[in-house]
Amino acid sequence: MRKNVLAAGAVAMAGALALTACSSSGADEGTVVGDGEGVELTFMYRGSDYDKAAYETAITAFTEETGATVKMIITDADQYSTKLQAAIAGGNVPDVFYVDPANMMGYVYADVLADLSEYVDDSVVDNLWDFGVDAYRFNVETGERGQDGDPFYALPKDVGPFAFGYNTVLFDELGLDYPDPSEPMTFDEFVELAKALTVDMDGDGELDHWGTGLNVTWNSQAFIWGAGADWISEDKKTVTVDTPEFAEALQWFADLGLVEGVTPSVEQAQTLDTYQRWMAGEIGFFPVAPWDIATYNAVAEENPDTFGYAMIPYPVAEEGDDWSTWLGSLGIGVSADSENVELAAKLAEYLSTDLDAQKTLAAGQIQIPNLIDYAEGDWITTDATETGWPENSQIFLDIAMEKGRPLPATYTYTPEWYDNFWIGIENVVDNGSVTAEEFLAGKQEEMQKLLDQSWTSADAAKAQG
Amino acid sequence: MSTSAPPAETSASVWTKEDQKASRKANAKLHRKEYGWAAAFMAAPVIGWVVFLLFPMAFSIYASFTNWNGIGNMTFIGLDNYTRLLQDQYFWQALYNTVFYMIGIPIGLALSLLLALALSRKIRGRTFFRTVYYIPVISSLAAIAILWQWAYNGDFGLVNQALALIGIDGPNWLADPMWAKPAIIIMTVWKGLGYSMLLYLAAVQAVPRSLYEAAALDGANSWKRFTKITWPMVRPVTFFLVVTNIIGGSMIFTEINIMTSTGGPSFSTASLVWYVWNQAFRNLSMGYATAMALVLGILVLIVTAIQFRMNARNDFSID
Repeated sequence: MRKNVLAAGAVAMAGALALTACSSSGADEGTVVGDGEGVELTFMYRGSDYDKAAYETAITAFTEETGATVKMIITDADQYSTKLQAAIAGGNVPDVFYVDPANMMGYVYADVLADLSEYVDDSVVDNLWDFGVDAYRFNVETGERGQDGDPFYALPKDVGPFAFGYNTVLFDELGLDYPDPSEPMTFDEFVELAKALTVDMDGDGELDHWGTGLNVTWNSQAFIWGAGADWISEDKKTVTVDTPEFAEALQWFADLGLVEGVTPSVEQAQTLDTYQRWMAGEIGFFPVAPWDIATYNAVAEENPDTFGYAMIPYPVAEEGDDWSTWLGSLGIGVSADSENVELAAKLAEYLSTDLDAQKTLAAGQIQIPNLIDYAEGDWITTDATETGWPENSQIFLDIAMEKGRPLPATYTYTPEWYDNFWIGIENVVDNGSVTAEEFLAGKQEEMQKLLDQSWTSADAAKAQG
Repeated sequence: MSTSAPPAETSASVWTKEDQKASRKANAKLHRKEYGWAAAFMAAPVIGWVVFLLFPMAFSIYASFTNWNGIGNMTFIGLDNYTRLLQDQYFWQALYNTVFYMIGIPIGLALSLLLALALSRKIRGRTFFRTVYYIPVISSLAAIAILWQWAYNGDFGLVNQALALIGIDGPNWLADPMWAKPAIIIMTVWKGLGYSMLLYLAAVQAVPRSLYEAAALDGANSWKRFTKITWPMVRPVTFFLVVTNIIGGSMIFTEINIMTSTGGPSFSTASLVWYVWNQAFRNLSMGYATAMALVLGILVLIVTAIQFRMNARNDFSID
């Protein structure tokens, strides 16, 4: 702890002075729920106006019940993690704050996060998506994540199902049948459709519509998983990118552009990135996530002749294979040093589960509701359609319930091993100067070394506390 | 020697020790308040120096010998971070990239001196041009980085469009490991041109006209006048710019983070400070990051010391 004080001084000097407002109010210890008069909690987060509006709703309800007031501290998304880290090192941790599951292990070992298990009812937890809680479950002794029954250190701010979509208007224009929303396409079927969508519409000799245009860093996971490959073993100790199925899947992904020609070239994608081209009606298949819905709806409304969208499962290598896609999350944690941990845990619960706040967030088309009974009840049957969500939004719930997987680095101490995978990937995907097999041969060893280092660092952090 | 002044021993015998003591006491009383204020004023920068420089520096040195994640406790691990650093290919790559960016320094200085010489003449619109060249200096670096990101677009970017006018098929600048670093250099040279130019302009205008007139009478041509008068006279500015540009260049971060957020294709643009930041805040290796930062600091110190030494040898004065 003395060393923490030393650290506090240095980091404060390094620029964390602005965060001095983050400390709790200094109310008496032992404050209990319902007895929060005169207590002020601090809540640090990043987000949009919709987040703020939703949180104001939740905070009003919280204040009415407990009498405590809440001071909200909002920061830029880019600077959030740096500022939070500075606040932690400076000993000015907010009572309640967003926490990335990928950083959670370090925070727990450093005694930054309070164990919320004893403060939150099982009935509340049971009504949240499993991933939304498992992402913050952690066994300090074994270092395992997401195991039922282990303590959890945050409640979900949200879960983010990353679905796949297609442009209905483009399909109509070309007279193509829509893909089946209940069964995934095979890779071959996907390529066939993508080729049919890659056309020169105006007859000037230049392609102006493409089957797809997927960024390898954010969009290849579902395809790799759909081929039965993965970056890491189940116990998170071994890098598994050196398997034949991984190489085949990565090569197939690269060949979408290099061989099949169903994606815009690197130069074309740089001129107007594929996200913009998708919204301009030039791309057939593209990811659709909850946070995109408001934007896509606005584009579809303004340009009904070029853009409309629906969602489908991600393709798989062979018929009968199971599909999956990544599911992200951001958590709401409580400072272990808060003078009002119980009250702060109650606030986290309100922010995560207050029904009115969840309705506000879902109506704002930035996230699906956290509450399963509401999401699978009123929301999917009436509220979603009424507030502008696509007809087949059920796919988001399917991903949240069973098809979603965490990104590979979510459950490791540091993401460096996974980040390393993307260094030089352009040589496989963009210019094809090396094959996937050649690329992966050298990568496994390098990534494994970094993963081992990550676990060594985790052990060291655990020992240091 | 003046005859009116009393001998020293005579004065001392008149000015007794008791007198001296009484005088000192009276003075001390008289000036006590002033001494207090003086001490307070002197203490402010000293305390600031200790708190904001000495302590963080000492702390950084200690942290570099620890396994610290930036949020938890520290464990002393000796030279492990430095051993790791020596074996880390990405550290060396980032260091190489950072040194490579320094190529922009002489290019920038040469261009800014030329500009200063041009704009020191009485040419039409020189105030306008001085302002135009200075605008990038006061513009937001983040905004400029985004602007250049667009300009470097491989297909329809402004840079390649300009090259196309003279029949050159420009590269895909930021996506090509070979061209990504030069692209960053071009941008940083452009951004810093106005600042260097302004300092050179002041130095050029401060050169005494009489030197040029004398040289002209001796038959010196323009090149001789530049090499024998202008260049030596602006050398202090050159020295200042070289030193500050090396220090500033070694800290390049924003441009890299915005224009090539993942460290560029095949890590080709990652600067050392970018890598340090990545290790400290993304990979929770604050101790290791501190070790790298210290190595960078020492390298900059050595280079700067060499610069000072070389400059000292070249000192000259006009009698």
